[in-house]
Amino acid sequence: MSPETHDAVLVFSKTWGAVYLFVVFILVALWTYWPSRRKIYDHAAQSPLGDEDIRQ
Amino acid sequence: MTRIIKSYVLLAATFAILALGVSILGFGRDGAYIFHGWLIALAAGWALMWQLNKVTDPEPEIPLEYKDDVIKWGVLACFAWGVIGFTVGDILAWQLAIPSLNGDMSWSNFGRIRPIHTTAVIFGFGGNALIATSFYVVQRTSRARLASEILPWLVFGGYNLFVLLAVTGYPFGITQSKEYAEPEWYADLVLLFAWVAYLYLYMKTLARRAEPHIYVANWCYLGFIVVIAMLHVVNNLAVPVSIDVPKSYPLFAGVQDAMTQWWYGHNAVGFLLTAGFLGMMYYFLPKAAGRPIYSYRMSILGFWGITFLYLWAGSHHLHYTALPDWVQYLGMTMSIILLVPSWGSVFNGLLTLNGAWDKVRTDPAIRFMMVAMLFYGLATFEGSFLAIRPVNTLSHYTDWTVGHVHAGALGWVAFITFGAMYNMVPWVWKRDGVYSLRLEAWHFWLALGGTLIYVAAMWNSGITQSLMWQTYQPSGAFTYAFIDTVETMIPYYWMRAIGGFLYLLGALIGSYNIYMTVRGAHLPDEGADAKPLAVAAE
Repeated sequence: MSPETHDAVLVFSKTWGAVYLFVVFILVALWTYWPSRRKIYDHAAQSPLGDEDIRQ
Repeated sequence: MTRIIKSYVLLAATFAILALGVSILGFGRDGAYIFHGWLIALAAGWALMWQLNKVTDPEPEIPLEYKDDVIKWGVLACFAWGVIGFTVGDILAWQLAIPSLNGDMSWSNFGRIRPIHTTAVIFGFGGNALIATSFYVVQRTSRARLASEILPWLVFGGYNLFVLLAVTGYPFGITQSKEYAEPEWYADLVLLFAWVAYLYLYMKTLARRAEPHIYVANWCYLGFIVVIAMLHVVNNLAVPVSIDVPKSYPLFAGVQDAMTQWWYGHNAVGFLLTAGFLGMMYYFLPKAAGRPIYSYRMSILGFWGITFLYLWAGSHHLHYTALPDWVQYLGMTMSIILLVPSWGSVFNGLLTLNGAWDKVRTDPAIRFMMVAMLFYGLATFEGSFLAIRPVNTLSHYTDWTVGHVHAGALGWVAFITFGAMYNMVPWVWKRDGVYSLRLEAWHFWLALGGTLIYVAAMWNSGITQSLMWQTYQPSGAFTYAFIDTVETMIPYYWMRAIGGFLYLLGALIGSYNIYMTVRGAHLPDEGADAKPLAVAAE
């Protein structure tokens, strides 16, 4: 790899890598904390508690 | 896939492993390698005969209950490897305090015995604990039986065969010299076989779930399985010299090899020793405390945070080396950000106990898990701190690193395992409870005392070592010769050996307690009448 290619790839990953990780974080945060999804998670949190009878 | 095609695929894969074993025992030239050929051939041959019997049998009636028999074996293997691993670890600690204890033989020196300790505790103890608890948790949270009758045994058997090949090879010098990835190519192939089976089985079981949502513990276990598969394959890309000898050469060279190795090494910490055990925590802590996880949503955010960030942190093992600076800074930055999801998980675990703190006083199993969360918090803070480049100049190559690893391994990984096991063993064996709460409490205090002595000794020794190494005369010459720094370590090494001994003693008491629980009285069987409404789905 030539030094120029290396530097170009480096700059690309430094900037767009950060943007990518940040966007993914925002999406995950929105997805989990979206108010209408609350019921799903409240229900899931109870999953280990109570009866654990096999169903299939 | 129909049952018959699945059987053929499994038979073919098992036959391939058998062929590997037979080739090694036939072509191999030295004793230990030939012995490994026999081990592989016998295990695979047995598995093959067992499967052939099953294929020719009529299709079995699969009962509508959880498949727990393989979990029991996993628990026993976990404690057996744990005792072996802790014993060898303490022997090493005494060898460091009193060097002549190594007996001056090739097989008994530190370099050959140490990987036995690390493999037995990480893969033998930790790996079996994860396999056993993951089978337990995935069934309960999915309300479904494991998706195969054969695969769980192949996973358990293949995995333990791998650990056995690893630890019996080291004393004879069979190693590819990659830390925590020492086993040679043929053992790696055995693990690959077991691991693909594990991944397939886990996903198929999840696919059968009766719940719409996949509980967070399963995400953690699945993250562990997927990432270990990826790491294991990439870091072990190697070319065997020939079938006659165990030796192989890695595909990468120089700094690329180092980076691949520590990408592997740090993610083994991140996904085997962290994500997997977080899965254990997210199930057994709420279950034992009788309270849901404090913030379920935060647990999801924490899982994805850990998954995305850990994969970038490995280069902090290579600060100030030939690795390009920007890669070092990348690893350092990611390691620091990693503190956020890590501590999120810590507080999530601890706050789950709100309203149940009295149980920390009365139930040693919950106490184990609570202290595990504290040590997880301590070790992740310390880890982020040590990954900072200037701090690393102080800590790297010193005993501080050893102390850090053991704060995580003894304090977090083993404590959460013991807490989970003291809960799961009575459930799986259908016992009223653990044989003795007094012994459980003894185990707890010995383990805690041992860990604190160990970690405190290594902090002192590491910082002393480092400061001595970095003390210069006005002329620029070193003030201390290297041997001076070695001699100064002696009292700390004695402390470490004593702390390790206390920890081992606790684990022996724990194993006895588990053994007596298993031997104890069975709970009265409720019988079919107790649940008249339980009807088979499908």
